Amino acid sequence: MIDEIALVEELQNIQTKEKAFRILIKEYKQRLYWHIRKIVISHDDADDVLQNTFIKVFKGIDNFKQDSKLYSWMYRIATNESITYINKRAREKNIDITEMKQKLVSNLQSDKWFSGNDIELILQEAVATLPEKQQLVFNMKYFDHMKYQEISEILGTTVGGLKASYFHAVKKIENHIKKNQN
Amino acid sequence: MKRGTNHSKDWKSTKDIKTGFTVPENYFTGIEDELLSRLIVEKLPKHDGFKTPEAYFKSLENVIIEKTKNKNGKLINFKRRNIKIISVAASIVLLLFFGSNFIYNTNTELSSEEIISWLDMNANSLSNDDIALALTELNINDINPYLAIKNEDIVESLLNSNDLDYLIEDINTK
Repeated sequence: MIDEIALVEELQNIQTKEKAFRILIKEYKQRLYWHIRKIVISHDDADDVLQNTFIKVFKGIDNFKQDSKLYSWMYRIATNESITYINKRAREKNIDITEMKQKLVSNLQSDKWFSGNDIELILQEAVATLPEKQQLVFNMKYFDHMKYQEISEILGTTVGGLKASYFHAVKKIENHIKKNQN
Repeated sequence: MKRGTNHSKDWKSTKDIKTGFTVPENYFTGIEDELLSRLIVEKLPKHDGFKTPEAYFKSLENVIIEKTKNKNGKLINFKRRNIKIISVAASIVLLLFFGSNFIYNTNTELSSEEIISWLDMNANSLSNDDIALALTELNINDINPYLAIKNEDIVESLLNSNDLDYLIEDINTK
């Protein structure tokens, strides 16, 4: 478990910034990658967004005032970068974001970086039909095993609101799977 | 078991005893939704099915670090670069503003001296948003394209810049 306060101090010191930034990348790259990947679906896109996220963290770390946890801040940047990326792709194709996500998921079966079975594919299709907030809450709670309090710090939603979002999300997913399983 | 036990009376009496236990704030809020969700997700697949190329994460640090360095292999100081961009942008806004003001100064309520005085006092507090707003409000097409910025104005602006050493370093690395 790294000492966040000490790490931030080193990141904000030009002498130790590179070394500290390497530690930061090593510590958080996988968690951020998988969070981003579940939003943008494609590995190549996730790679782009992840790199953009770390560069934004590098650029903005001098202004980071530690009024939230470092990880929450980075997670927020990653979330915003992912959503912006998807929105941009949707605009280029002149479709809305939900349609964009469904389009991306429809390519998963032939995607070499997806090894899910039929039911896992249906699950991804179900998640893609959810409104943005429910998708985020579901992915963070179910796949990333985050606590509601952590999710609340990142998304700025109350714990009660998150519990309701999660419940609605799982109900919709359950219905979608039942309808499409056979 | 004792016959005739008055359970509700026993329960009531234990309820009144303070145990000292507390729960997190809002613990009971949405607990029904949470429990029902858990029942549903037990039947869902546990994995998302995504995978990555082999050794993807191993090479990632170096790829990202390279993007934070300039041609000489030194870390880019984005803080100083941002200050430079803001001061150049602020200078452009001021010059355009004065240019348009001198050409189109018909119904303005403030005199040029008052505007200059305000800018002198507040220029350092101009945020990126202020500059962007000034640029969007200003119709660039209305500006006289032949309005020349005097060389001595540019030189004076550069000499007064606090980031002159960074500007010199930037020129030398090109």
